[in-house]
Amino acid sequence: MSFKQNNIVQAWLVLLLALCFGSALAAVHVTLAPTIENNKISETKEKVPELVLGVEQAQTIAQKGTKLDIVGHQIEVDKAGQKTFYSVYEALLEGKKSGWVIKASGQGYADKIELLLGVDPKVEKVTGLFVLDQKETPGLGNKVIEPKWRGQFTQKPTDKAFAVTKKGASTPYEIDAVTGATISSRSVTQIVNVAINDLRPVLSKQ
Amino acid sequence: MAQGPTAAERFIQGILPENPVYRQLLGLCPTLAVTNSMQAAITMAGAVMFVLFCANVVISLIRNLLKPHLRIVIFTLTIATFVTIADRVLAAYMYQMSKTLGPYIPLIIVNCIIIGRCEICASRQSVVTAGADAIGQSIGFALALSSIAAVREILGTGMFFGLRVLPTAWPDWVIMVLPPGAFLTFGLLLGAINWYSARKS
Amino acid sequence: MTYLIDIVLIAMGAALINNFVLYYFVGICPFIGVSKKVDMAFGMGCAVTFVVTIAAIISWTITTYILMPGAPLSKWIAGMFMSAEVAAKIDLTILSYIVYIFAISSSVQFVEMYVRKYFPPLYKSFGVFLPLITTNCAILFACLTIMSKIIGVDNPADAWDLGRSLTLAIFGGVGFTIAIVIMAGIREELDLCDIPKPFKGAAITLIVGGILAMGFMGFTGVDSGLRDAMTPDTQANASLSDEIQGAQQLLLSQKDLGY
Repeated sequence: MSFKQNNIVQAWLVLLLALCFGSALAAVHVTLAPTIENNKISETKEKVPELVLGVEQAQTIAQKGTKLDIVGHQIEVDKAGQKTFYSVYEALLEGKKSGWVIKASGQGYADKIELLLGVDPKVEKVTGLFVLDQKETPGLGNKVIEPKWRGQFTQKPTDKAFAVTKKGASTPYEIDAVTGATISSRSVTQIVNVAINDLRPVLSKQ
Repeated sequence: MAQGPTAAERFIQGILPENPVYRQLLGLCPTLAVTNSMQAAITMAGAVMFVLFCANVVISLIRNLLKPHLRIVIFTLTIATFVTIADRVLAAYMYQMSKTLGPYIPLIIVNCIIIGRCEICASRQSVVTAGADAIGQSIGFALALSSIAAVREILGTGMFFGLRVLPTAWPDWVIMVLPPGAFLTFGLLLGAINWYSARKS
Repeated sequence: MTYLIDIVLIAMGAALINNFVLYYFVGICPFIGVSKKVDMAFGMGCAVTFVVTIAAIISWTITTYILMPGAPLSKWIAGMFMSAEVAAKIDLTILSYIVYIFAISSSVQFVEMYVRKYFPPLYKSFGVFLPLITTNCAILFACLTIMSKIIGVDNPADAWDLGRSLTLAIFGGVGFTIAIVIMAGIREELDLCDIPKPFKGAAITLIVGGILAMGFMGFTGVDSGLRDAMTPDTQANASLSDEIQGAQQLLLSQKDLGY
């Protein structure tokens, strides 16, 4: 095989371009990776104050200039031989533990629902709920992201599982379903119940 | 050097006479998938414009060095690199939008518009022509995307660019922002445009 | 048992609920271009299923062993040149798009040659479509979905294994085949209809596609019901009868809303 017909020689342009593009990508990665990583973390972290303290108090704190210290934990829960991991954020106000924020996810009506659940330090009541990611039906199921609906969970006791009702909630353990989206409402409630059930024994001891 | 249309001709042709979506039926995947809101559609069109422009210019610069049997490899490599760059930039500076667009940004790699333009125009003509062609085609693509997105967003949510344009009494046609709405809107618009151009000629 | 439920749900999701063509709009080009005759559509569907399966195996292997942060193979190679801590942090995800597209196209070329040489009848039935679909969105989309399930998850334990990835790919392909064959069946009938001239061809295909997508929307929510039906009743609430009642209620309320 003569020199000119050698495949590697013929492909010199491909190799050269690969080298150029490779270095360009490396440069992009080095410059942008920290920003992207930061975006991912702050998306969760900036919700922590209002989930733990409530919207109003979170604003007062922000005005006073005090900042909530947030410590991230990975918690492993052993469920009948099946290991589940949770990302949990511990919120500390001036060194005192003021609550937990749990990142939980589960199957919704259309796709996975990912939510943040705020609870008090002893996991006795819910302090806030926020839906991070969902693809529920627009106009019906995606009403679960509205503050009016998810606000139902705030200040509810966690000692019994929440149940979805269509007739108007009468006890503190009942949640009104979104009209026309019972399954979406039920899914969110179910995710909350499972997360509390799994983590209460671990978190309340810490 | 092969003779071909001039830069100005390429630019004009891309916008309406050879519109990539309505005339050539290329790049239909993002056309249908990200047109449920104007913002998503415009971001998508911007990303396509960036990738198409960069790829066309690079390919045109090296057009005399291309070996026929290695040409597709080089096209793919170039396009994939610029798509990765676009994807990272979006993730860094428009994080929410990049989450909404999700896999459709990397899917620009297999968008037939770009590889088609590289093959038809950039690998044969000068840098200026290739650049003008890229911009013309991307404007055509952006127009097509926004025409569909405008119909879908206004009818589906009563809003345009997130601002309310229809009275609140408007019953939102939720179906328009769901997948079937994409097919129906695009099908009807395509029929309407065919009808109009057939009547004119 | 939970693994089995997972597999069934992924399969249902990929084939019907979140159909590649009618929900994610990937693979629209062949959906419109090759859906004139049922047998051609079926050949195309088989080819896509076949390629997407191969692509899933390749992309899962590459992602798990090379691309993902702290992947064993790249860690081992990097470990030869630098300290162990630095090597453990090697993250090649930025290269993923380029790697996938080249892995797909080269493997499809190989498979095409192999099938042509050793299985000529098979090649005749769907091999001709193979080169056409190397750059089909559906294939890359499957790879990207698998990637997001490996790299995008918070907990390493949730990362998809090969079984789940394969299920997604195979049933995604099956879903594509279902959609394109239904479409071809309808289009064969449409040939006999008097369609207004501007709508002939792509426009009417898209409108029919829209109606099909509406039909497939009816599958939404089947998976959550199915999961609850299969899960042994541990969580106290959500019994099966309750779920059925809930579904009926949902149907009623959707009727009120003009669904």
